[in-house]
Amino acid sequence: MSKITIFRQACKGVEDCGICIFVCPKQVLIGSDEMNEVGYLPPQVKDESLCTGCQNCMISCPDFSIVVEKDASKPAAERGEEDG
Amino acid sequence: MSVSAHPFRRYMRNHVTRTTTCPGCGNGIITQAILRAIDELGLDMDDFIFVSGIGCSAWIPSPLFAADTLHTTHGRPIAFATGIKLCLPEKNILVASGDGDLAAIGGNHLIHAARRNIDMTVVLVNNGIYGMTGGQTAPTTPRGLTTITSPHGTLEHTFDICAMVAAAGASYVTRWTTYHPRQMTRSIKKAIVKKGFALVEAISQCPVQFGRAAKLGKAVDMLKHFKENSIRIDKARNLDEEALKGKIVVGEFVDIEKAELASEWARLKQEVMEV
Amino acid sequence: MGRGKKIMTGTHFMMGNLACAEGAIAAGCEFVSGYPITPASEVVNRLAKRLPEVGGIFLQTEDEIAAICSAIGASWAGQKALTATSGPGISLMQENIGFAVATETPLVIVDVQRLGPSTGAPSVGLAGDMVQVARGSHGDYQIVALCPESPQEMFDLTVRAFHLAEKYRVPVFLLADAFVGHMREQVIIPEEKQLEIESRKIPKGGNDPMDRQDFLSVDVAPMPVFGRGFKAHVTSSCHDEHGMRNLSDPEVMHRYISRPIDKILNHRDDIIQVEADYSGASIVLVSYGTVGRSARAAAHLAQAQGLRTGNVRLITCWPFPDREIRQVAESVDFIVVLENNRGQLYPYIKAEAAHACRIELLGPETLGQIHDPEYILARIREMIK
Repeated sequence: MSKITIFRQACKGVEDCGICIFVCPKQVLIGSDEMNEVGYLPPQVKDESLCTGCQNCMISCPDFSIVVEKDASKPAAERGEEDG
Repeated sequence: MSVSAHPFRRYMRNHVTRTTTCPGCGNGIITQAILRAIDELGLDMDDFIFVSGIGCSAWIPSPLFAADTLHTTHGRPIAFATGIKLCLPEKNILVASGDGDLAAIGGNHLIHAARRNIDMTVVLVNNGIYGMTGGQTAPTTPRGLTTITSPHGTLEHTFDICAMVAAAGASYVTRWTTYHPRQMTRSIKKAIVKKGFALVEAISQCPVQFGRAAKLGKAVDMLKHFKENSIRIDKARNLDEEALKGKIVVGEFVDIEKAELASEWARLKQEVMEV
Repeated sequence: MGRGKKIMTGTHFMMGNLACAEGAIAAGCEFVSGYPITPASEVVNRLAKRLPEVGGIFLQTEDEIAAICSAIGASWAGQKALTATSGPGISLMQENIGFAVATETPLVIVDVQRLGPSTGAPSVGLAGDMVQVARGSHGDYQIVALCPESPQEMFDLTVRAFHLAEKYRVPVFLLADAFVGHMREQVIIPEEKQLEIESRKIPKGGNDPMDRQDFLSVDVAPMPVFGRGFKAHVTSSCHDEHGMRNLSDPEVMHRYISRPIDKILNHRDDIIQVEADYSGASIVLVSYGTVGRSARAAAHLAQAQGLRTGNVRLITCWPFPDREIRQVAESVDFIVVLENNRGQLYPYIKAEAAHACRIELLGPETLGQIHDPEYILARIREMIK
């Protein structure tokens, strides 16, 4: 299983950003109403088991707030990495 | 076991803990594409000199990147970078700045750096508007769009920066949007490796200014717009002007090899001194 | 022809602009950028040929803005850099002259002044940029500017301009004019060991600017030039000692403005050169640049006619030699300021002199023409009548 880490303090919130949720092909991430220390609402992981490890959220996060460690046992095609 | 920090933190200055952009700004996506390209090429930050101008996207390398960074006056980063490259030809020079900075006030330097084919990578962030100063019309603003300084809609035609830089003689010219971070990363890698002037035009979302002016909504709405309206150059070639209206043509426009200025200077000095 | 001689030691009959170019090469300059402009073109024309012979680069830019920007870039890349132009080019460069000031960048800017305002008369000299070189960029700052009176000084003061630029990490002007730029005269180029050549200090090491003081030292901070792993952060925006931008702390803003000014003013005795010859005089002619030649001739004429007349020539015009002028004013009765303009340094000179002696401005009979010594003498006689 891929591992998702969210650096909540670096995030600028899903209200005005939310790019991670938009680019996830499996709806792994959802909003939350728990503020970080500067008042933004970072996303939360709904179901990590759905994550294919495509890293779309990590690559598209403007604030370096998400890291997805791929499940190395799965081939790239299965992880669903694709160009937009 | 989860990671304790983003892997690209190692490319950033320790004391700079946050990006400087508004929520949902495309600059961060482009920042990451630049760092990912450097990472995947196996290069060190000390192999680079980063130069930027004035405007939101000029803050991509400065103060974030743990490297030599030069934050210049408005419009002039390419002119500064030209002097740096000629004196440090073994270093990679990467200029990151906006459309207003590089294509409006600094347009002349962009043209002539491309003409000289001096080896540098220019990541030109095009958000179609002046973001930092409050949403004024840019040369890249779509014709007809209402902005702070074009309250009745801009009457002017939109600047095709890639076409201009290609015509001026650059070695590598490409355009992607922030909906294409993987392609953008690949293109930045090619641009860095390319011996010559390389332009990566990065169409980016400014949800705060452009999104409001164009009534496109928030960051994700703008990314959706990029997704739906981007068209590959190979497909665009077969379409007429009408069909291309409102479309963003993406892909590689130029990818050639030609004599490069800093190497030509090295050759010339050798020749003159050995005669 | 082989590798070009770096220093053309010997006695030459040489045009001022070419002597300037040779001075740059002798000082170790290896990057020059410029845009063609009368009456400064010969400086870059010569350097375009000479630089590759000594391992340097000449870049002809698309405009003067690119010329100064690429020269500043070259300086940060570790090279001694120069750009040469005339008044219209200086006008275009002003914003980035401020950049060089704010980032404490060593750089030599040659201004071969011509008659203006605006496009004016390109090949006619007029000291029209005396104030714009020192006060023309926005914000508050001090500048160093040297004024040659001869082709020999075009060489000597170009070498000195590099010396001061490197020593104090500042842009330095060589403030010539069309007359001295195009004048041909004997120029003696000394041997290398007789030249005072300075190179900037760089930090001893460290790869984090937060551990160093790269900027804002009145005693000149070592310059973290690019390409050596210093990870320098360079911005002309308000910054602290580490070079990090700070747009919120008034104390930092105060230091950002004051320290580079104090760096120059605290070392003014080392920077300022004034040629003074007025012992026993009651009248002193104060001049600078080309006009100094007429002033000297006029003083001789006056002395021959029994007028106790002396001479003071400002070789350094900026920082302004205030104490030197005050000293003159307090020992003579009358100062006549000779300038080839309608009085650009006159207000500064008057401010230091008017409390102690009479002071008048005397331009040439026709602006843009060299002061005729007989005319100077005749006017002095009228003034003291």
